Amino acid sequence: MDDRQLERILKNIESPVPDGNAKKRAVNLALVEFDKHQKEKAEKRQGFSLFGRLTDSSDKNTRRTVMQRRLVYGGMATAMVVVLAATMSVTQQTATFTKGAELKPAPAYTGGGNDFSSIATNIQTSQSWFSGWGGKAKEQRMAQNESVSQTYAKAVEESNKQNVEKAINSGASSLPVPVSTPTGKLSVGENQPADDGRVMEREEIASADSAAAPKPSMPMQEPAKKSEMRARGDLQAQVAGGRAYTEADRLARQKMPETKAMASPPPASVAIAPGVIAPQPPIVMNDEEMGQNYYKDVGRDKFEHVDDNPPKVVSAEPVSTFSIDVDTSSYSFMRRQLNEGVLPQKDAVRIEEMVNYFDYDYPVADTKEAPFKPTVAVEPCPWKAGDKLIHIGIKGYDLPAGEHPHSNLVFLLDTSGSMNSPDKLPLVIQSMKLLLDSLQPDDTVAIVTYAGNAGTALEPTAVRDKARILSVLENLGAGGSTAGAEGIRQAYNLAESHFDKKSVNRVILATDGDFNVGITDPNELKSYIERERKTGIFLSVLSFGEGNLNDQLMQDLAQNGNGVAAYIDNLNEARKVLVKEATSTLFPIAKDVKIQVEFNPATVAEYRLIGYESRHLNREDFNNDKIDAGDVGAGKAVTALYEITPVGGQRLVDDSRYQKPLATEALDKSKSDNAFSGEYAFLKIRYKLPDEDTSKLITTPITTSDDRTLESVSDDTGWATAVAGFGQVLRGGKYTGEFTYDDVINLAQAHKGKDEYGYRSEFIQLVRLAKSAAAIQKN
Amino acid sequence: MAEDITAMIRAAQAGDGRAFESLLQEHYEIIFRMAFKWCGNRADAEDITQNACIKLARNIETYKFEAAFTSWLYRLVINTAIDWKRQNKTHIALPEHADDTISTGDSSAEDKLQAREMLAQVMALPEKEKTALLLVFSEGLTHAEAAFAMGCKESTVSWYVHEARKKLGVKDDGKKKERRHG
Repeated sequence: MDDRQLERILKNIESPVPDGNAKKRAVNLALVEFDKHQKEKAEKRQGFSLFGRLTDSSDKNTRRTVMQRRLVYGGMATAMVVVLAATMSVTQQTATFTKGAELKPAPAYTGGGNDFSSIATNIQTSQSWFSGWGGKAKEQRMAQNESVSQTYAKAVEESNKQNVEKAINSGASSLPVPVSTPTGKLSVGENQPADDGRVMEREEIASADSAAAPKPSMPMQEPAKKSEMRARGDLQAQVAGGRAYTEADRLARQKMPETKAMASPPPASVAIAPGVIAPQPPIVMNDEEMGQNYYKDVGRDKFEHVDDNPPKVVSAEPVSTFSIDVDTSSYSFMRRQLNEGVLPQKDAVRIEEMVNYFDYDYPVADTKEAPFKPTVAVEPCPWKAGDKLIHIGIKGYDLPAGEHPHSNLVFLLDTSGSMNSPDKLPLVIQSMKLLLDSLQPDDTVAIVTYAGNAGTALEPTAVRDKARILSVLENLGAGGSTAGAEGIRQAYNLAESHFDKKSVNRVILATDGDFNVGITDPNELKSYIERERKTGIFLSVLSFGEGNLNDQLMQDLAQNGNGVAAYIDNLNEARKVLVKEATSTLFPIAKDVKIQVEFNPATVAEYRLIGYESRHLNREDFNNDKIDAGDVGAGKAVTALYEITPVGGQRLVDDSRYQKPLATEALDKSKSDNAFSGEYAFLKIRYKLPDEDTSKLITTPITTSDDRTLESVSDDTGWATAVAGFGQVLRGGKYTGEFTYDDVINLAQAHKGKDEYGYRSEFIQLVRLAKSAAAIQKN
Repeated sequence: MAEDITAMIRAAQAGDGRAFESLLQEHYEIIFRMAFKWCGNRADAEDITQNACIKLARNIETYKFEAAFTSWLYRLVINTAIDWKRQNKTHIALPEHADDTISTGDSSAEDKLQAREMLAQVMALPEKEKTALLLVFSEGLTHAEAAFAMGCKESTVSWYVHEARKKLGVKDDGKKKERRHG
């Protein structure tokens, strides 16, 4: 080895092309940081200028004294006012008092509950005005602060001068005219006159309140005393001088208590009216402020593109095979978009997930061993005359409460910077709390977080020890990058450490989408999850937020992990997934459930599977137990719909001119004596019990006896049809002809059923929203 | 180009978010490349790069144009990487598919193997020596530039490179490229 060789080798290290997503994410995070930094900088500007000066304050959290508070109204100004006030003591005194008396709302001093609430309101308004002053976490910029303070200083000065003149002109005993303060110089300046009165109010009330209960009588004495003093004028000059000094000084220094009030929750307002009103202006301000620091992505939601299933000719392709899908994320994502007044992108609409979002009252199997009982119905197709819809419904066996297996859960929570948004991490924490409530005391829960580097936040802990789990959950904060892969590894290790063959071992991943750090290749991660699935640890995915949702990866992960992918857009959805349907989310009763339908060419000419585009299986996959498919949780209803064109109906695909379908001739002969002439199709369902590796088969023919008219169709069938219709219209309505949103609404209204939880009514609202969103888009 | 970058930096320092973004877009690859060479695998490199970007957001204004921006950037990346390593304390592995990442051009499999072994040794070097070696040989910086990036004296860089060489068992082949300074 020589020098040149070393140099060559080092020179030739070729780094891979950076991942586009990682880059976007990094740039975004950096920009958020940049903005934050700029803001901080603007707030913490140091300087010699009077108003830019920082003073120290002790920080309760860190127990340190830091130079971060700005003394808005500096010592110089105080001194000036003091000097003025001292020299003009007599007039100043009267002026101040009059001002106070005039500006104070009279009823505030008459006592009684109502008046106290009105005081509190006053304080509240004045406080929200105060909070515009200085302090950290403020929007207001230095420039404004300065000019406001200057205006204020001028106002005080001017009022003093005027009062002096007036006092000289009219004598000490006459009533001075109210101080005229320059208004309109600045928008904030308008608040000035009111301010003086309120500050006094606040201080008086605060002092009144120091005796535990509000005592209206005490403030009442004050004005009386003042007018008396005014009357006695000269006699009291000496004493009053002192008082005026304090009043003026207080006025001048009023900014200081305010900044304090900002740093700690408003002491005055809390003390004033216990139980009457809880004023919260500072919190509102904080929200506004934080809103700008939230991480927000736009338009980078990733969905797998799928084309609608095309109609197929029975004579050419009589068998249709697919894997079931119990996810619901598409529906909640769509709901979120519609609620924001936007039509969801077409790829975000997966019809089967919308249909399966709802619970259906299909008959349930009686035993755990044969967990399904298929329900079939045939109804006229509402969007194409002559066509029929075959409706296949299965509902998983629901475990009775006593039979719930134990759960060994690991929450894998994304706490990266992008989760810093009200609809992300806080919602994740809330959701996890909800889930805790639906667990049994013996179940164990562990928490792994990942942000920058993955870490175990909570070792496996029994749910009995709820306080501990809650305290960990509540202390989670978002920040840093996303090391997803490492997090998943740790989560699986934890789950393995408490692995119990009899219980449900599951990792529940809560994230907003892409793992930008740590995975070179999503396929690598998928195969990792698949390997773990084979050891018996399943993965469920709860996704949050929008703008950068990597739906595709989440779907893939959940599918490979034998779990459910749900999208949580609000607390209600969290409740639905984690409490109401906790059993189906947590406990699988069958895995690798596949459906195969063979159509009878004697009765059906064409068929089209509605939805399940991404779940297509090959015909030969059906009997192959190695092929993975969807899983069904306890009590979960799954629905599939086929649109069929009966023989003789209006077909979309013409017969070939040159190739006579092989089956037809044989068919023609056997048609009359066909034993299956009453059958539309033959349904086969394959499934495995959760702990078995060989599949079982359920079969049932779909016959003309399943035919229903539009009137006799059950609510569940009708409802599924309405939802499927809506999904298709949202996806562009390629095969639904003239079917409109209004038709969906009518159909849905007719089959709403009991609708105990209001999900179905919500759906109808969504259709209306979609209708108006579509109308807006057209214009 | 150089003026563009300078203007961008000045704007970013003045608080222009858009300028900062384009600056970042422009330099992401450089940061990533350095991070990758330093830690040897993509996952960690992306992590370090992200941290470096965030750090850059806070520190862009401390750049005083006293050296080339890229040198300054190297310094930031190296510091980030060192911080990151301290935090993670994870084993820094060679890229799993080293063959894909080390391009040895037309050379034989044997050469590749040798190169890989060599890199493993480089990765195992003490941090500073590794950094110096990468900056000088791989990124083609002069010792002076490397010194700036590493925040040490030029002679120290030379010494690091020398030490690294010694440890790797590299013999001087007479045609010494390295210039002696100080």
